[in-house]
Amino acid sequence: MSSRHEFHFPGLVFRNLVNRPYRTIVFVFSFALIAATLFSSQYLMSGARESLDEGVSRLGADILVVPEDYAAAGQSVMMTGEPNTFFFEDSGYRKISGLPGVARASPQIYIATLFASCCAAPVQMVAIDPETDFTVSVWLKENPGVTLGKNDIIIGSGVIQDTGRDLQFYGHTFHVVGQLARTGMGVDNSVFVRFEDAYVMAGESRQKAASALVIPRDRVSVVLVKTDPGRSAVSVADEIRRAVPGTRTIVREGLLDAVSGQLEALTRLLYGSTVAIAVVSVPLLGVISAMVTHERRREISLLRAIGAKKSFVARIVLAETLSLAVTGSLAGIGSAAVILAGFQDFIRISLEIPFTTPSAAAMIADGGIALLLPVAIGGISTLYPLLLVTRSEPYETIRRGEP
Amino acid sequence: MIEVLGVTKSFRGPGREVRAVDDASLHVGKGEFVLILGRSGSGKSTLLGLIAGLVRPTSGSVRIKGNDIGLLSDNSLAELRAREIGFVFQFSGLLPTLPALENVLVPTLLCRGGPGTRSRAREILARVGLTEREDAYPATLSSGEMKRVAIARALINGPSLLIADEPTGDLDVDTEYEIMDLFRQLNLEGMTIVMVTHNPDLACFATRLYVMDRGKLGLEPGPFPAKDREPGNAAAGAPDDE
Ligand SMILES: Nc1ncnc2c1ncn2[C@@H]1O[C@H](COP(=O)(O)OP(=O)(O)OP(=O)(O)O)[C@@H](O)[C@H]1O
Ligand SMILES: [Mg+2]
Repeated sequence: MSSRHEFHFPGLVFRNLVNRPYRTIVFVFSFALIAATLFSSQYLMSGARESLDEGVSRLGADILVVPEDYAAAGQSVMMTGEPNTFFFEDSGYRKISGLPGVARASPQIYIATLFASCCAAPVQMVAIDPETDFTVSVWLKENPGVTLGKNDIIIGSGVIQDTGRDLQFYGHTFHVVGQLARTGMGVDNSVFVRFEDAYVMAGESRQKAASALVIPRDRVSVVLVKTDPGRSAVSVADEIRRAVPGTRTIVREGLLDAVSGQLEALTRLLYGSTVAIAVVSVPLLGVISAMVTHERRREISLLRAIGAKKSFVARIVLAETLSLAVTGSLAGIGSAAVILAGFQDFIRISLEIPFTTPSAAAMIADGGIALLLPVAIGGISTLYPLLLVTRSEPYETIRRGEP
Repeated sequence: MIEVLGVTKSFRGPGREVRAVDDASLHVGKGEFVLILGRSGSGKSTLLGLIAGLVRPTSGSVRIKGNDIGLLSDNSLAELRAREIGFVFQFSGLLPTLPALENVLVPTLLCRGGPGTRSRAREILARVGLTEREDAYPATLSSGEMKRVAIARALINGPSLLIADEPTGDLDVDTEYEIMDLFRQLNLEGMTIVMVTHNPDLACFATRLYVMDRGKLGLEPGPFPAKDREPGNAAAGAPDDE
């Protein structure tokens, strides 16, 4: 660290930045903008990818089998929890569990609920078959002592109610026994009950609820499939579609594609703005650099005349620009991170993508990339000043008084 | 210390060539105090630039401490300037973003000796009579104050050679003699000084006097008994304008 009593190179650079506020502000602001847009793009991509990985692995299923006409709806329920009610046309789904390559198969019924006092948005109800279920049961195993019994309900992280309290759906009262951890996917916006209770709730709905709910017997909405170890999900899914007419299958890879498709518009916009800002700022910063350097020709010549090597002057120019690039980028990344963290739920809902705050490692990588671009742009903007330095004619410039 | 041999510097002017320095030869021994007198435009600043290696001669050679500076690389020349030469430019030229004290310290960043301390810079500012204004930025200094900061900057690395181009040009007579007194003291401490002025009255401080006229350099015959004259008397007996 520099002692108060000595005068070091960084002190010289610092003075040059602080006492040229116009350039400092424009540079820091431009670099901040570039870094912020780039960081936001990276952040959204990482958050979506991580959320999807996390959500899919939590689901524990390799294949989601849905009715032919509801592939998109099934996907939305999975990814963003946008509520929907749909059923298979017939009971052909029962064949799935016996197909080769299928280790386990468990049906679920999707019921869209109405606005409830608990929640900002309508909630997706998922009725599970306790006999075959392998998704909620994983969670139950992780939380010993909790069981999903008659009229019990397990709620996603986005549903606001305390464990031990009651929640009403279609006039039926459920008892909250547990809440799932946040995944950023549709699960967060879902509640889980048993088949039997869903049927009872539907039966009572004609009297108790504002609108009646009909759940046809022997019809389910989706079937979750776990494949035999070593079998590829894609090939088993092909098998299922062939064997059971009227079905569509959703595999993990397909979900990832869908998410990147959904993200594409946004990331294209963000990367596009990054490129646009960069394209505008490179000449802008270049011109300002050139102006400042031009204005500083006397200063550069003076330094050379009192014995500064060209490399010393070049170091000043580089150190100034890089300090501005790093300061601006860090400010941009920091404010982008704060804003993105603050609008976390808004992002998930408005972009209709699974989303969670990226891990620290991913954020550091994203930040690193967002830092690199401004530094590179800063480097480019010093090219002209550096050229002036190498061409400087020290005495010629300072021989006379101020022009 | 300095050996200038038949140096000519010409500039291509509009139409004809300008010989700013015309076949000048000059010898400065170690510990001398050389004064160069001459009218405006006679080539004094160009000559000083040639001596410090800031101007490349059209012909002739300049040696400093035995080194032909025409043969030195850009970097060696820069090192020579930073280490051995303190240069006070005619138009002082301070870095506008640094306060006076730090302007004085800039040359210490150019030498391997390491960064200079503020207390040392303060001592030197005191020697040029500027203790009060160490935190002032150049824009707020008078031209005389700027010149004194520039003198302090030329001295901070303890050069063996001080080159000064009208260092007292903007100063009142009292301050002028204070600075000349400082120069004489530095000279007595062993510093070689080459100074340009157009005030003939300062000739008293020199151990050797040159006169420049339209590029031609001539040695003025000595002796210079004025060396023992008191600065106070000299100020009192300031020359009449003729
Ligand atoms: N780079 C240049 N290009 C063209 N002419 C030049 C250049 N440098 C100096 N000259 C000319 O050379 C001559 C000597 O200039 P110089 O600055 O050395 O004079 P000086 O004795 O220092 O004058 P002053 O006392 O006014 O400072 C002048 O006629 C000047 O116009
Ligand atoms: Mg001059």
